[in-house]
Amino acid sequence: MFKRHKSLERKRELLFQGLPQSTMKNNARNFHSLSQLVLSAGPLKTTTAVKHSKTTHFEIEILDAHTRKQICIVDKVTQTSTIHDVKQKFHKACPKWYPSRIGLQLEYGGPYLRDYITVQSVAASSIITLYFTDLGQQVGWTTVFLAEYSGPLLIYLLFYLRSSYIYDVKESTRWPRHPVVHLAFFCHCIHYIRLLLETLFVHKVSTGHSPMKNLIKGCAFYWGFTSWMAYYINHPRYTPPSFGNRQVIVSAINFLFCEAGNHFINTVLAHPNHTGSNACFPSPNYNPFTWLFFLVSCPNYTYEIGSWISFTVMTQTLPVGIFTILMTIQMSLWARKKHKIYRKKFNSYVHRKSAIIPLIL
Amino acid sequence: MAAAAATAATKGNGGGSGRVGAGDSSGARKKKGPGPVATAYLVIYNVVMTAGWLVIAVGLVRAYLAKGSYHSLYYSIERPLKFFQTGALLEILHCAIGIVPSSVVLTSFQVMSRVFLIWAVTHSVKEVQSEDSVLLFVIAWTITEIIRYSFYTFSLLNHLPYIIKWARYTLFIVLYPMGVTGELLTIYAALPFVRQAGLYSISLPNKYNFSFDYHAFLILIMISYIPLFPQLYFHMIHQRRKVLSHTEEHKKFE
Repeated sequence: MFKRHKSLERKRELLFQGLPQSTMKNNARNFHSLSQLVLSAGPLKTTTAVKHSKTTHFEIEILDAHTRKQICIVDKVTQTSTIHDVKQKFHKACPKWYPSRIGLQLEYGGPYLRDYITVQSVAASSIITLYFTDLGQQVGWTTVFLAEYSGPLLIYLLFYLRSSYIYDVKESTRWPRHPVVHLAFFCHCIHYIRLLLETLFVHKVSTGHSPMKNLIKGCAFYWGFTSWMAYYINHPRYTPPSFGNRQVIVSAINFLFCEAGNHFINTVLAHPNHTGSNACFPSPNYNPFTWLFFLVSCPNYTYEIGSWISFTVMTQTLPVGIFTILMTIQMSLWARKKHKIYRKKFNSYVHRKSAIIPLIL
Repeated sequence: MAAAAATAATKGNGGGSGRVGAGDSSGARKKKGPGPVATAYLVIYNVVMTAGWLVIAVGLVRAYLAKGSYHSLYYSIERPLKFFQTGALLEILHCAIGIVPSSVVLTSFQVMSRVFLIWAVTHSVKEVQSEDSVLLFVIAWTITEIIRYSFYTFSLLNHLPYIIKWARYTLFIVLYPMGVTGELLTIYAALPFVRQAGLYSISLPNKYNFSFDYHAFLILIMISYIPLFPQLYFHMIHQRRKVLSHTEEHKKFE
């Protein structure tokens, strides 16, 4: 009796295990039939296209990167079409996502395809499968820069005016601003006004876009640090630099020198020969400020760091020093990256040249 | 601190994958998991830390039995507590070197927040040492750490008793809020003394044109618990569901 009971239990277990197996088999069959259907459909359409127009057309199947579900099929894509064109067609089919927030990948986890890439160059057959990711809300780079740089101007002004919301009125009255505070205000304004004007009239901005969260992060960084440094520079109990006017004047002159240098380098970089994917590497011209190109690959960053070091010394304020250090680190990383690109791209590039700090880095 | 749980969970998972790596060929082992020397070192480290926190636990019990009261037990375990909690700084190094596959940032945050509470609050403000809230987080930490370090030890040895795994992913439900409560109450108790003494504060004017208000800083830290605690607590609950339910499935299969 007992033995029989055991055998019955075993049978039940087998049945239980069998069920999921059969389910899996069914799923497998469905998958196979679906893929066969897709495969059979493709060639027919291709043949038809060839007969009618005698040119090759591609059909692009777009799947969701996460769920792997098909979102839509973009057809009648010519071999000279670019990824940008595909995004336009995709946008028509699915108006919910505009072109700049469409991220397309050849394989899951692979790099996003650039807009200028032609469909033909990535096509393995006349049917192409791409994976779609929603990149989130996008903003143009110009918008990003204008927002990041206009904030510091206004914020610093608020602190400079010593609003009663920020500083105690009695203290503000008792301790008038030291001359260096006015000079610092002037220099700070010059810096950000220059950046704003260059963004509007000098820089050739990339056609790409930036995610909204990058905008928020950038603004938080710039606006936050501006608030921090402005609070102490404009504080009623601000202490002037240790070495007096000499320290201030030398720093101010160096600051203006670096600002001018930065500006001239940016105008060189913005020249048509130095923008876009066919750029040749920038080189110095008759302007002495551009001669830093002889020593470093990214003199704009060198001058930028020079400006902030000067501003730090001029104001002798710890928050400015911290900001300068962070900016130096960030720009060094950018400069190295760019330096590496230059080396790869231009065989004739001078190898002994530094990325950002002459002879050192 | 809130980060403890998340880091612990991360490490646990990381340890698991490390073991899997070790199981493969020797080549794969070199790449993936910690090598035999690193494993031996980690086992020793975790055993020492388990023993250390056990010393604290025993110290607490003995002191309680001797005094007959739970007030001011902190003084009985102050030194080992400082030593072993500060010793946890080595874990940041382990992550940085790569012998432990956890996030350096997350681990740093966890360890530094506890070291901060020990030295910058409890050690620095003598008046709070007799507070019951100190006992609250010390007990929570002690139990949590004994479980956590023994969990790592057995994981590295590829022999993890179920009861330790269960304790690891169950007792936090009580210990975690308990620890956080103790931490917050301790910081709160320290505030008036910090303000009164101007402890660790820098005021204007000075030649660096910089000021720092430790009192405000502590308040800021207390406020930061609000977004961090729920996030990490529910992460641990999610982790628990995943780990323990997997075990149950395994049992059913057997």
